[in-house]
Amino acid sequence: MRSLAKSRAWDLVARWYSIPLLLVVWQAAVGSGLVESRLLPGPERVLAALVTDLGNGALGYHAGVTLSRALAGFLLAALIGIPFAAAMARSTLVRNLFEPIFFFGYPVPKIALFPVFTYVFGIGTPSKVAFTFLECLYPIVVTCYFGFRGVETRLIWSAQNCGAGRATILRRVILPAALPSIFSGLRIALPVALIVVVITEMIGDSIGLGYYITIWSTRFTFANVYAAIVVIGICGLVLDQGMLLIRRRAVYWQREVA
Amino acid sequence: MRVNATSLQHWIVPVLALAAWEVFGRAGLLPRYLSAPSAILLALWELMSTGELYPALAASLYRVAGGFALGTAAGVVVGLGAGLVPGVRHFFDPLVSFLYAIPKIAFLPIFLLLFGLGHASKVSIIAFSCFFPVFIASRHAVLSVNRILLWAAQNMGTPRATIFFRVVIPAAAPQLFSGVRIGLAHAFVVLFAAELIGSRAGLGNLITSAEEWVRFDEMLAGILCFAVLGFASDRILLAIRARVLRGQIIGTQEQVLR
Repeated sequence: MRSLAKSRAWDLVARWYSIPLLLVVWQAAVGSGLVESRLLPGPERVLAALVTDLGNGALGYHAGVTLSRALAGFLLAALIGIPFAAAMARSTLVRNLFEPIFFFGYPVPKIALFPVFTYVFGIGTPSKVAFTFLECLYPIVVTCYFGFRGVETRLIWSAQNCGAGRATILRRVILPAALPSIFSGLRIALPVALIVVVITEMIGDSIGLGYYITIWSTRFTFANVYAAIVVIGICGLVLDQGMLLIRRRAVYWQREVA
Repeated sequence: MRVNATSLQHWIVPVLALAAWEVFGRAGLLPRYLSAPSAILLALWELMSTGELYPALAASLYRVAGGFALGTAAGVVVGLGAGLVPGVRHFFDPLVSFLYAIPKIAFLPIFLLLFGLGHASKVSIIAFSCFFPVFIASRHAVLSVNRILLWAAQNMGTPRATIFFRVVIPAAAPQLFSGVRIGLAHAFVVLFAAELIGSRAGLGNLITSAEEWVRFDEMLAGILCFAVLGFASDRILLAIRARVLRGQIIGTQEQVLR
């Protein structure tokens, strides 16, 4: 029994040692003065900056701004993209009209259009949300489209045989069958939303985590930059776990592929 | 090519959109920042004939190619290592899972301070952000190689090096390419953001300086160049992929996406 517990503990150490090891190396490098500490403040100073700015609400405020923009753009893209993907999959006309736009537009780096967005929507929240919408729309539409197209025809036939109407088939057959793909599209798009909002905030804004990073780096206070990076990492982790939780509820009959 | 209803429908939306843009732009009904497509092409011609475009294009191309090559190479080597050797895997897994959720562009101020405003900071941040998707894809690819293939090769007395090059690599290649493709997309996003935030050369710089001179036609021409560059690189990657994976991608999404 003891040896089992021991080997478990050893396994845990073998799996997770690298993060504490890196922290120790970081601390040692800063403490010995090998690295200029203004550029790389020690972990304890990052932690101090994190605690201070979480305490006075600054980081919370900027994180709230960034998260709400990311979620707004993401939800808009999901609300419009999923029905649109379904329409593309079910109707030949819609498919022929829009397929080139999505498949040729997919590899185009859409970030290049952001300057135009700032002219159309202004520098603040609307341009960020609109741009996040565009960036999320592509992975959602493309992934969901393949999901909707992949629904087996014989499932639809058997539903029709049982006398189900079009609306019932859509709601009870097609949607559940495409749900795993819908969720994988959403899971691809969610981190994209966060990335895009942070980038556009870094390019130009006066609120949000991207702005927070930019402003503290121009003040050469990198402890706060690292603190913001930690907060962004936590936001990304929470969003992804939340998405997985919703997926588990909605697609209860299929376990996710890690 | 036979002209049929499908290919006709493919062209309707893009052609109509461009025509409307041109007509409304000429009539002065669009805001100034949306120069008509003909004006954009003219500006592009002007940029080419004055030679203004080429240094910018060369700088951007150099940065994205260098960063992408470095990041991909590192990602493939470390990813394969992590897939093959548990020790390497245990070292990198916690670090990657923590850093993956963070938009790598958040580290830009630190890279700018470390490497300056020139090429080095862009190449390194692009390499940094390419590394993660490539690492994750290669790691998963090696781990998901069918055991039976490995056992069969071992049974026939194949040396380890031969197993690696003739069994593991070919079996892992499709997944590996998906990671590389994601890395390429990241490379362009990071390139654009980095050139917009802190740079004295490159297409991003051309776009911002055109914007400052209120030359919206030049700004849009720069955006067009950037979009074409991103699109073309993706197509080149897909062509390489199709060549390397002859016979392996039939019926996959990538084949449809082309």
